[in-house]
Amino acid sequence: MKTTGAFRERLLEAWTELRENPGRSFLQALGVMLGVASVLGGFSISDSQRRQTEHVFARIGGIDKLNVLPTDTIYDGAPSALQSANLGLRLEDASDGGAVPSAKAVNATSILKQARARVRSEHADQERDVNGIGADYVPLNGYEVEEGRGFSAHDFASGAPVAILGAEAASVFFPSGDAVGKPLRIGEVPVTVIGVFQEKNFRFREGQQNIFAWRNKIVAVPSLLVTSRMNGDQYHRLDRITFRVPDLAAMANFSKELSSLVTSNHRLQKDFRLDDVQKRLQRQFSQGQVYNLIFMLSGVLALIGGGMVNVNIQLASLKERVREVGVRMAIGAPGSEIFKAFMTEALLLTLLGSAVGFVVGIVFSWTITKLIGVPLTLNGLSFLWATLMAVVFGFLFALYPAVKASRQSPMEALRYE
Amino acid sequence: MRIIETRDLTKVYGSNGNAVHALCGIDLDVEQGEFVALIGPSGSGKSTLMAILGCLDLPTAGSYALDGRQVEKLTGAELAAIRNEKVGFVFQQYNLLPRATILRNVELPMLYAGVPRKERRRRAQELLERVGIPDKANALPGALSGGQRQRVAIARALANRPALLLADEPTGALDSKTGQEVLGLFQELHAQGNTVLLVTHDPSIAALAGRRVELRDGSIFDERQQAVAA
Repeated sequence: MKTTGAFRERLLEAWTELRENPGRSFLQALGVMLGVASVLGGFSISDSQRRQTEHVFARIGGIDKLNVLPTDTIYDGAPSALQSANLGLRLEDASDGGAVPSAKAVNATSILKQARARVRSEHADQERDVNGIGADYVPLNGYEVEEGRGFSAHDFASGAPVAILGAEAASVFFPSGDAVGKPLRIGEVPVTVIGVFQEKNFRFREGQQNIFAWRNKIVAVPSLLVTSRMNGDQYHRLDRITFRVPDLAAMANFSKELSSLVTSNHRLQKDFRLDDVQKRLQRQFSQGQVYNLIFMLSGVLALIGGGMVNVNIQLASLKERVREVGVRMAIGAPGSEIFKAFMTEALLLTLLGSAVGFVVGIVFSWTITKLIGVPLTLNGLSFLWATLMAVVFGFLFALYPAVKASRQSPMEALRYE
Repeated sequence: MRIIETRDLTKVYGSNGNAVHALCGIDLDVEQGEFVALIGPSGSGKSTLMAILGCLDLPTAGSYALDGRQVEKLTGAELAAIRNEKVGFVFQQYNLLPRATILRNVELPMLYAGVPRKERRRRAQELLERVGIPDKANALPGALSGGQRQRVAIARALANRPALLLADEPTGALDSKTGQEVLGLFQELHAQGNTVLLVTHDPSIAALAGRRVELRDGSIFDERQQAVAA
């Protein structure tokens, strides 16, 4: 066939062939169907789980973060003068860190200074963690001010005696719900509540506990207030610096430069550590990949098994069709045309099997995700992969019967009884 | 114009010790418009000669020109193209594709030749009218009688306007009345200028042809030239 409609014609012939032999076609498509369903199901289930985890991290301000944390240093014997003079993680580390060449990639920086203090209002008196925070802390950690206002630049710069409470803290200290504008005492420092954060709520499954409950307990004040009036620390030592680097490629470079900068700031002492959140998560995800691989493998095995069944069925049906092949050759079909006809049939079969496999795979993954209580995520890429693999194996196993059919001598094929 | 020209055509099956000489030096010329009957008992080499003349098989030695084209050295794909273009086969068992409609069966050689769809349709319908079954286009071969099926096979053979119409015992599976009708069709086609080579073992059928070529033990045994009847 030389015309442009040749493929269409072949497809038509292949369809006729499949339709006229429904039993045989079903058996042949079965392996493809199971393989595709398995690959697709595996992908969808692990995708759904990953999406869920990503969702969690998106809610706490994203995963593209690099934390700098102080470590407890253990000195061997009495600390040297150099070690004693070392001041730990400080505000300078944050501002210098934002000035290294690769810091262009940093789009937000937050600092945290924690203190333990007695917090008192008219209604409650509790020992609490107080978070002294820097400018970008609120967006970086996924907090949103629901009532009142956030900290202003002036609040941060002057260490103003103002506080924002998490939803839980607000309800404890001001049960009547009118926290904004009320006085609060943190340690010996009187502050005014200027805002309340929106409640953070996330449950992996219906009926499970809120994994973000601790985040609602926050009592936030400007970090300067903590360092100047609560801890009496003139050096502005910090408990955490966080940089957000949205560009993953820039992250590695930035973390290297930051590490050497902080090391030299700290007189070459390793009294801090870097925590690349994304990397940490990737390590966790890669464990999940094992399941992906298992599903994928079982899908491939099903495709191989189905493929071998197909070879057998094709070879058996070839006996029925050998005469027909002979006739086609006699009236002018070259071997290549016979080959293409058989391959087209295999392709059609694979695609039909895949289509049914999609449906089975979706139902399968829907059931599983429903059981483990995760919303189903379908990824176009997994459909593509499943189809691609089915087509590759479909073609591979169709080759032998197709070659065998196309290599027949027309004479012998015609005489075949 | 000479349609068939063979020189010293030889076909040997097997090798060395158990070689079988199916054809031993055939010289055969057929001119355009001839109606030739190829006769001979079974084992005489008829089928082998027909296969080679129909470009289904290649000779071991000797030369063969079909419609001016040397074919003895061609590859499988080239032979397929020659069969498609120059030869129309009619078999004893009809050999229609059972799952394709009558129209599609007739279209098939044109499909392989790359004739556009509309043109194919039109010509196939025309051919069915020519062989006398214009109303069966959408039926499947199973729904037709033997004679009708053979008519379809003839229509299919004529699809690409071949230089040579090659019929192998075309009436072998038909009752004598239907057989006569089919033979009548061949005579008609011959009268229209087609070159027909009819393979048979039945002398009465061979008698209808303008020329008889008899094969025995792989050689042309007796060729009696007769006056062209029509």
